[in-house]
Amino acid sequence: MPIINARSNNGNSDGDRLVVDIYPLSSYYFSSKPAAASKDETIADRALRLKSNYDAFGMRTCVEAVILVELFKHPHLLLLQSKNCIYTLPGGRLRPGESDIDGLKRKLLSKLSVDDDDNYRTHWEVSECIGTWWKSDFETLPYPYLPSSGRTPKECTKLYLVKLPSNRDFIVPKNFKLLAVPMCQLHENRKTYGSIIAGIPQLLSRFSINMVRT
Amino acid sequence: MVASPVVNTYPLSSYSFGTKEPKMEKDTSVADRLARMKLNYMKEGMRTSVEAILLVQEHNHPHILLLQIGNTFCKLPGGRLKPGENEVEGLKRKLSSKLAANSPNMQPNWQIGECVAVWWRPNFETIMYPYCPPHISKPKECKKLYVVHLSEREYFAVPKNLKLLAVPLFELYDNVQRYGPVISTIPQQLSRFQFNMISG
Repeated sequence: MPIINARSNNGNSDGDRLVVDIYPLSSYYFSSKPAAASKDETIADRALRLKSNYDAFGMRTCVEAVILVELFKHPHLLLLQSKNCIYTLPGGRLRPGESDIDGLKRKLLSKLSVDDDDNYRTHWEVSECIGTWWKSDFETLPYPYLPSSGRTPKECTKLYLVKLPSNRDFIVPKNFKLLAVPMCQLHENRKTYGSIIAGIPQLLSRFSINMVRT
Repeated sequence: MVASPVVNTYPLSSYSFGTKEPKMEKDTSVADRLARMKLNYMKEGMRTSVEAILLVQEHNHPHILLLQIGNTFCKLPGGRLKPGENEVEGLKRKLSSKLAANSPNMQPNWQIGECVAVWWRPNFETIMYPYCPPHISKPKECKKLYVVHLSEREYFAVPKNLKLLAVPLFELYDNVQRYGPVISTIPQQLSRFQFNMISG
């Protein structure tokens, strides 16, 4: 299997951890499930809700999954598209006291799998955190460092690399489309995807992505 | 799951700086540089270069050490590996060449940490990508950026023709015009680290 980003191991034990096996898009099966009850709220209502959560629980932490597949010999990122122009990574807000891993697995089940999978039959392999973004206020842009003012940020988003097995059934709520977007299209395309998603190729560059031929 | 790696950063004031003989650039123009790269490629194949991200802290915000050539052009300390040279050894060699005093008993003990970014040059042009573009089977250069962990005190000797700057992450972020696509994305690539900002 040709490893495109072949590199010397350097004697680092990092070597194995940095190899990511990805499989062809065609080895995965996609179907849909009913949409979750929507939080159809106005922007003002949402702002109020976020503020009252902050007052009660402190900084809002979101965890999001970076999941890759292979197509046309190039890595593609799985993105959820809603309302035709909003692209999001599978993930969402952590509950108070919930760990990053538990929260991410819960969100992955809700966004990409069957809901009643209480026994976690679908095993998600969460690898490592590849980047963190902070917002000093809910309406401001995210930045990849803590505000230098020293004030606590209101929101933190952590991106985790999730490794897929060689096949899986994805079951997506009807109100989302699941897309596989090539890295070369994400790169520097902040206008369409926002800074966080458009910056993913740069966050993944240190990994050796092994495109497995099945 | 791997825990967040930690980087200890010390204040800029805990380091001392001197000068040494100039280290001139081998090429005087971008065109010359690309021509020399082509010649080397014919002889030795793909160029591998390694660069160091040296971090200090000021006002509780991480800063990266950059070498400034002339009035505007900034680069990370580092350079091309010799054919077959190990990456870590090569980076130490480049760091000593650019930033260490010449005397053998004043060599910093360079602690090379994790690789945080890899950039690929598909053709003999200035553009680089954080992945090997599809349909490119023979990239011309592979550039790897490593975090280097500094100890609390170091003495750096900077070549007379270069300036050593400590630039805050917030100044680098998104500033492609001033620092180029590689350096301006370092803040995102460091965002998974936990910075332990130690005061003097």
